Amino acid sequence: MLEATRTLPFDIKDYLRLDTMPHFMCPGCGHGIALRALLAAVHDCGIDKDRLAVVCGIGCSGRVGGYIDANTFHTTHGRPLAFATGLKLARPDLTVVVVTGDGDCLAIGGNHLIHAARRNLDITCLMLNNEVYGMTGGQASPTTAATRLTSTTPSGAIEPVFDACALAAAAGAGFVGREVTRQAPALKTLIARALRHPGFAFVEVMSDCTEIYGRKNDLGEAPEMILSQKADMRPEARRDAPDQPFRPNALPTGVFVERDLPEYGERWRAHAAALRGETER
Amino acid sequence: MTARLTALHGNHACALAAVAAGCRFFAGYPITPSSEIAEHMSHALPRAGGVFVQMEDEIASIAAVIGASLGGMRAMTATSGPGFSLMQENIGYAAMTEVPCVVIDVMRGGPSTGMPTRPAQGDVMQARFGSHGDRPVVALAPASVQEIYTETIRAFDLAERLRTPVTVLYDQVIAQLLESVAIPPPEAVKVAARKWANGAGGFQPYAADDDGVPAMARPGDGHRVHTTGLTHAESGFPTQSPAVADRMMRRLLGKIDLHLAGIEKTETLATEDAEVLVVAYGITARAARRAVTELRRDGVKAGLFRPVTVWPFPERALLRAAETARAVLVPEMNAGQLVLEVQRVIGRAPPVRPLGRIDGEPMTPGEIAAAVRELARHA
Amino acid sequence: MTRSTPQGRPAADRLEIRLAGSGGQGLILGARILFEALAVEGRRASQSQSYEPTSRGGFCHSDVVVTEDLSDFPLVTGLDVLIALDQVGYDRSAGLIKPDALVLVDESIATGPAGGRLHRLPIAARAVATGSPRIANMVALGAFVALSGLCGPEALAEAIRRETPEKFADLNLAAARAGLSLAEPLAA
Repeated sequence: MLEATRTLPFDIKDYLRLDTMPHFMCPGCGHGIALRALLAAVHDCGIDKDRLAVVCGIGCSGRVGGYIDANTFHTTHGRPLAFATGLKLARPDLTVVVVTGDGDCLAIGGNHLIHAARRNLDITCLMLNNEVYGMTGGQASPTTAATRLTSTTPSGAIEPVFDACALAAAAGAGFVGREVTRQAPALKTLIARALRHPGFAFVEVMSDCTEIYGRKNDLGEAPEMILSQKADMRPEARRDAPDQPFRPNALPTGVFVERDLPEYGERWRAHAAALRGETER
Repeated sequence: MTARLTALHGNHACALAAVAAGCRFFAGYPITPSSEIAEHMSHALPRAGGVFVQMEDEIASIAAVIGASLGGMRAMTATSGPGFSLMQENIGYAAMTEVPCVVIDVMRGGPSTGMPTRPAQGDVMQARFGSHGDRPVVALAPASVQEIYTETIRAFDLAERLRTPVTVLYDQVIAQLLESVAIPPPEAVKVAARKWANGAGGFQPYAADDDGVPAMARPGDGHRVHTTGLTHAESGFPTQSPAVADRMMRRLLGKIDLHLAGIEKTETLATEDAEVLVVAYGITARAARRAVTELRRDGVKAGLFRPVTVWPFPERALLRAAETARAVLVPEMNAGQLVLEVQRVIGRAPPVRPLGRIDGEPMTPGEIAAAVRELARHA
Repeated sequence: MTRSTPQGRPAADRLEIRLAGSGGQGLILGARILFEALAVEGRRASQSQSYEPTSRGGFCHSDVVVTEDLSDFPLVTGLDVLIALDQVGYDRSAGLIKPDALVLVDESIATGPAGGRLHRLPIAARAVATGSPRIANMVALGAFVALSGLCGPEALAEAIRRETPEKFADLNLAAARAGLSLAEPLAA
């Protein structure tokens, strides 16, 4: 089903709940670009929106699902991957996409990320990384870079950050990639590849929080922040230099991992069928 | 076909009952003294065409259970006090989003790690108030292995009928007790079918019928609804309107009252002329039953009121049972939990006395009988 | 059906039996077999045990409460029967013995003041002679059934066949028979 592609041109209105507009994302927020890229990728993959389930957690990223004209689930903070695990195991016919954030996925939900990656159930996980807890007023997250000012790091952040892609890859994810919102077409292509990947696919989307994080750190308005992404990103750098120390301001982008691993749902169903065969004999 | 007698441990009976009730999804995390339920489910579910998954923690377990139920499967998890604590936020989510599911809590000594291999009844108030905010609460407290079987099935029935999480509370003693269970034939197991939305347009996922329970949209059936733990309107989308929030919350809480007769379940022994009424549940009720039987033999007018459904608390049934009582005793394996509810219901008279045990040992018939005799002397 | 309690007393509404000893002696299996033997004869009971990690030793007990009231208290409160396989099992259970209880212990065990219903038998020795020290539990069960008449020897044999692995069935049955023959002369 996922191999099919749509020939009709993409019209975002076909995939949005227009009666939920206007949306509540701040002007300049990168999450809207991520949302559009996701919907365009869904379109390109020919996914029936009746069979699309979007599971979100809490935070700015958690509100993205509500705008999508699909089966959408706004769950609890940090737990969308765990909810999605149950949903996908119960309903393998659904395409299950998790939209989460850096706090939702790496802090409160970090345990679920590594186990979802290890288990390798066919879920596509988009982590919208804006380096901050935007919804709650701009507190530091596990991806807030050193020296950055947030409402809980008033003198500058001092904790090291997570490399979410390296974490997902190390935990066993079959597909891992990263893209910036500035490269919207590349982002769409990356998400489509992730959707087609049969297994757990992790995509880190470098988004921007202009209203809170950008303003507090004097990073300029939305255009400046978007433009600065270009200088910071180095396409495919990870593959070129796997030993490169992680630097949040010089992030590699592209696909880092793409490997065929046994998908958990299929594994379970084969395992269960074999057991039923044994008991029938 | 009639029921057949099978020797089962409590936790095994729970797993068999769940499968008999149509449970086809179990997610859990190992914890004493409930782990045998997961072990039996891991064996039974693949053979029944279901799914068993061991999750990374209890938070993930209940989340996966809710996810599976949203997808249309009857789903359950099982845990003990520490895990039950971790599950509370998502139990609240299931209540708010009206997702049927069953949570088994095999109570052990607490707080904290407490006494993992010892019985307790310390989660009764956690089952009632553990999740933040006000939510509909249904909790059942079986007292025997047979009752674990029947109440687990009833938990699924109530969860589906009311679209709400249902907790089954029992303790380590009956979890590991071996007793003969009458297993009813499959056709005698009655669990309500879920009320699914019929695919018609203009569907409002949280607009309830007269029974207070809205139809549920199954993913893939074309409704494409939004499910959120935020306070939401009939449309399923969040609301900040005080009027809508009030209406939705009153309907959510009120659906329990609409179905009270089918939820409440109690048992009485010798309450007609009882001067001292013992109110007890779970294994403690069996000690109380022994005590009442022996006290009656000695001419002491004791009676027993046993709530099988502890939440919602069966107020009217208790008041009826307490009509002739001059004192009420509430023995529990905790420092005094359900006694607070009994005191609230009974009011100022007759006096309601707690009898708590928090040493990891089950309450004995002897200590209950002694306390009743003491009350009878002064009543 | 007439029921009798140990040594032909009229049926009490409740009978409390304990198998006591140390972890690894097969006490839980023993109680389970007793439970099953009663079930074979259509009687109901509750069986419980220590719920601790004792497979490497330490005091362990498993209890059977025979009662027809399904809601009766399922745990022991005062023992009508104590079967003790070692000293620790006896010592830790002695306080629960009722005055006229049937007490069946291995001959190696030092007991308190002996009532008329105390039986010290070479349970361990007979187990070794039958094939293994690990089948003392079955020898004790056989002796108990002979002394108490709580259930028939056939029901015990049937329960052993149901509850033990097939490859050990013959050995376990032989042990139970050894126990029966050990105690039968005393039962009259």
